[in-house]
Amino acid sequence: MTAPPADEIERIVARALTGDRQAETRMLVALRPGVLAVLRFGAFYRWIDAEDLTQETLQIVVERVRARTLEDPRRVFAFAATTARNLALNAARKMLRQQTVVDSELVDELAQNLEMEQSELTDSDDRQLAEAVVSLLETLPTLRDRQLLMRFYMDGIDKQELCRELGLSPKHFDRVLMRARSRLRTIIERRAPHLALFPRITSILVALGMTFTFWVRHFGSW
Amino acid sequence: MKSPDHQSLEEQFRLVSRYVAGDLSRSERAEFEAWLVASPELAAEVEMERRLRRGIASAARRGWLRRGVLRPAAHHHRWHVALAASVLVALAIGVSMKLPRGGVEGVADSHTRLEPERILLAARTVRLGSVRGVSTSPDIIVARNESPSSLTIEPDVVTLTCEDGSIELECPGGAPAQTPQYPEYEMELVKRGGGSVAWRSSSQLASARSPLSFTIADPGSLGVADYDLVVRGRSAEHEEVVARFWLRID
Repeated sequence: MTAPPADEIERIVARALTGDRQAETRMLVALRPGVLAVLRFGAFYRWIDAEDLTQETLQIVVERVRARTLEDPRRVFAFAATTARNLALNAARKMLRQQTVVDSELVDELAQNLEMEQSELTDSDDRQLAEAVVSLLETLPTLRDRQLLMRFYMDGIDKQELCRELGLSPKHFDRVLMRARSRLRTIIERRAPHLALFPRITSILVALGMTFTFWVRHFGSW
Repeated sequence: MKSPDHQSLEEQFRLVSRYVAGDLSRSERAEFEAWLVASPELAAEVEMERRLRRGIASAARRGWLRRGVLRPAAHHHRWHVALAASVLVALAIGVSMKLPRGGVEGVADSHTRLEPERILLAARTVRLGSVRGVSTSPDIIVARNESPSSLTIEPDVVTLTCEDGSIELECPGGAPAQTPQYPEYEMELVKRGGGSVAWRSSSQLASARSPLSFTIADPGSLGVADYDLVVRGRSAEHEEVVARFWLRID
């Protein structure tokens, strides 16, 4: 199953806001990858259980949708993102209170910097990823694109400086990065598909499970 | 958040790299995350950006990207790819012998043009005290064009406790403290100024007899920047940053 595009998700949420229970189930399926992404890619990833908080976020979102306090689908998206972030922040605070990390400046910095961390990757996954990136760099069409990626990601040179150095417009720079990600996705999907996808089947099952729970809680039966 | 038309979504796609690097302002981030919820395509793009960063860091750590020379693991290529490559290489050599010098540019050539040749020196070991000095200069400086082949850092940061975990000058029975406060320690290299985790050691068992020792292979391959060397002690129930030092690559 491929995820619906953004405008389709907006229509699904709009229908859910009218009280359409079927649309509500589809809304949960559709929002889950995004909410999970906010939690997994946010600054507090290290200290939270993203799957748990995704559940919690979606529960709060469904309650708000049912209470009809949100009228516009776009407000639902923003509300879901804010809720996810706040829950993550609270979970991280709680975790840090239990630890003796007292240097708040360091905590903030680590929280930001640890965004790259993906402890769920095994050594073998890590190696496959490195091989995929090497393949990507080998297949880039121009020397300049390779230079751009290496200098941007390896050397940490900023975009403005690189654009000046390589004679690129910022738009062209963005296009190179977007193309690189797209090629990497193709390579990974071919060689190690488990590194490329969100666990889609899990998201469907979880959303169905949540809807079931809500129905039973509110109406006493399925 | 604007209406999710194609153009607005494309605008967000351009922000992916900055989002992952933590460079968006608070309001930009809030809008971006609302889009993230609304668009699984954008979420997949963010995921791929992270994979790209992680993959490049991993390849660099393995020495496959050093100075732009791509050296993936040999076992990865299948035999027929190798055969095809051999034919191409033979052809390329044949053609290059006909070309004037400097007429064919490779990845490695281009990178040596961008930056001066690096000289790898012998391995270097640095011992760091548990108390960081109050001076405003870095604890370790590595010149990138004369970097050691490896940098071993031995931080004296393990606090010894009595068997019951108490920190005393003298333990019950008059014995000295001999139990490391944490069974495991690890070190991280965090780029300053909103940068990323550039390197992380594996966990190391602490011992009362020998100091911790963390080795960074080819520190010169790290970008020119200031880094925090963060040492963390870890037990099953507890984790703590026990020391922080300053490394400069210039």
